[in-house]
Amino acid sequence: MFQGLRRVIFYVLRRIITTVPVMAVVALFVFSLLYVTPGDPASVIAGDQASPADVERIRQGLHLDQPYLIRFAQWLWQILQGDLGRSIFTNLPVSTMIAQRVEPTLSLMIVTVSFAVSVAVPLGVIAAWRAGGLVDRLVMVFAVFGFSVPVFVVGYVLAYVLSVQLEWLPVQGYTPFSSGFWPWLRNLILPAVTLGFAYIALIARITRSAMLEVLQQDYVRTARAKGIGYGAILFVHALKNAAVPIVTVIGLGIALLIGGAVATESVFAVPGLGRLTIDAILQRDYPVIQAIVLLFSLVYVLVNLVVDLIYTLLDPRIRY
Amino acid sequence: MNVNANHSEWDAGVSVAPELPDIFPERRAETALWRFVRRNPLIVIGGVILGIMIVIALLAPWLGTMDPTALAPARRMRAPSSQYWFGTDALGRDLYSRVLYGARVSLTVGVMVAVVASVAGLAIGLVSGFVRWSDGILMRIMDGWMSIPPILLAIALVALMRASMTNVIIAISIAEIPRMARLVRGVVLSLREQPFVDAAIAAATPTPAIILRHILPNTVAPLIVQATFACGGAMIAEAILSFIGAGTPSITPSWGNIMAEGRSLWQIKPYIVFIPAAFLSITVLSVNLLGDGLRDALDPRSARSA
Repeated sequence: MFQGLRRVIFYVLRRIITTVPVMAVVALFVFSLLYVTPGDPASVIAGDQASPADVERIRQGLHLDQPYLIRFAQWLWQILQGDLGRSIFTNLPVSTMIAQRVEPTLSLMIVTVSFAVSVAVPLGVIAAWRAGGLVDRLVMVFAVFGFSVPVFVVGYVLAYVLSVQLEWLPVQGYTPFSSGFWPWLRNLILPAVTLGFAYIALIARITRSAMLEVLQQDYVRTARAKGIGYGAILFVHALKNAAVPIVTVIGLGIALLIGGAVATESVFAVPGLGRLTIDAILQRDYPVIQAIVLLFSLVYVLVNLVVDLIYTLLDPRIRY
Repeated sequence: MNVNANHSEWDAGVSVAPELPDIFPERRAETALWRFVRRNPLIVIGGVILGIMIVIALLAPWLGTMDPTALAPARRMRAPSSQYWFGTDALGRDLYSRVLYGARVSLTVGVMVAVVASVAGLAIGLVSGFVRWSDGILMRIMDGWMSIPPILLAIALVALMRASMTNVIIAISIAEIPRMARLVRGVVLSLREQPFVDAAIAAATPTPAIILRHILPNTVAPLIVQATFACGGAMIAEAILSFIGAGTPSITPSWGNIMAEGRSLWQIKPYIVFIPAAFLSITVLSVNLLGDGLRDALDPRSARSA
């Protein structure tokens, strides 16, 4: 017991440490983004109508007058201390700007993931159970179709039918959670379905193929022979054993959601981080772009770390 | 089926031998094509739709009814009619012509990203799979690179490089490269353990020759499949980039920027968004079907689990 616990703790620590080089590479990439701008970054950021004084102010603000590696070290040191710099345009601390926008995006992500998982997993399970049947065919068609439509088009189609024509749901906007659960959820239904579209296709497809493999195992036949009902076999015995690829893809798919959130928030006028990203990009607000990319990458890495830890620790077949 | 029919004729003792030379060559020529269609319906459906889109893109100047950039304030926001088949946009430009020309940008972006990302991924993957000491470093870099959500990375790159079609292609390719490199490396690592590579090493074949003659041909099939999906994904990415204002400049129409320009009117003139959306989705769908079909045909092992 004590031995086992020690191994678990060592494993968790080792896994956490492996994310350090990953995040270091992310940081280097994000930092280097500034250098992909052609010509003088300071004057590009300042725009065409900027005065030389503005350009000089931006140059000094970004410490562009110093060598690359020194700047990277300085920048990284600041970030590690929690200082994300100041926006070039609003002159507010970037961390404040992000904090103001976190709630809508976080709400959208949580609702989308819960909705998508609770739809996609049962769909995939039923598709595998009745392989070749109607549900299976629909799931397979949807699995290809879901990846062929841009997320914002899904949003417009849904909004056009459900909001403009049928007037069932609000077209746009966001209500904070503090104004009550139902108003909050009502505004998030359409964005969540939109954002979840491709994600559902992805999860359903993987669930189906993982379940197909598991359902061929002998213990499934044994369970059936013992008289256990299909529901219990599918959702308890088989799904549990098919969980690793499903949980993995739920984690990896977060990258899809992050990219999609930028477009979705724009369609539904959700004042979240995606909206902040677009504003920052249109204004070339470099510190904000940097911070957002870094933040989203960190979230992605951490979510996948947690997913990895959970199934490694829960699945006795995996040795660590 | 036809072969079986002939068998039963033989079983019945009917002499068919004199007819054979006449019947078989013709039938075989007919069934070869049909058999391909029957066995690879996805490749055929995807290929045909994609082919039509490519023809549309190439023939846009002749199929288009008017100059896609001609402004005409007098005919703004017309609904689809016999004169303006898909209607006109907020600046009075003919949507039908713009959508035809838009096929060029979307297809070019898709194909170029697939090519650029494949070549770069192939190079990194081969080095990583073959040069042992570089593997650890390169794969850590790929891990970090992949941890930046691809659309977000592409958005940031285009925003900082100034929007042009070339930069859109570069940005989406960069976001796509690590996945390609990972794929190639995996294939190379598994191939390196194969007896024919050992044999080549034992025969003192120089490493470049081993890579060119033995490794490269075997990476082509999975790479083509992945490149197809990258092509479809790139067309979607181009549309998303245009949509949020970081895409190809609207002087050259693309399906993405036609939709982007129509977004302010989407509640009253939804067709400005929905028509290019339909073209884009059908094209991406055909590319994805082609990819699924190619994977089933080229890699029978993964066909079952797909």
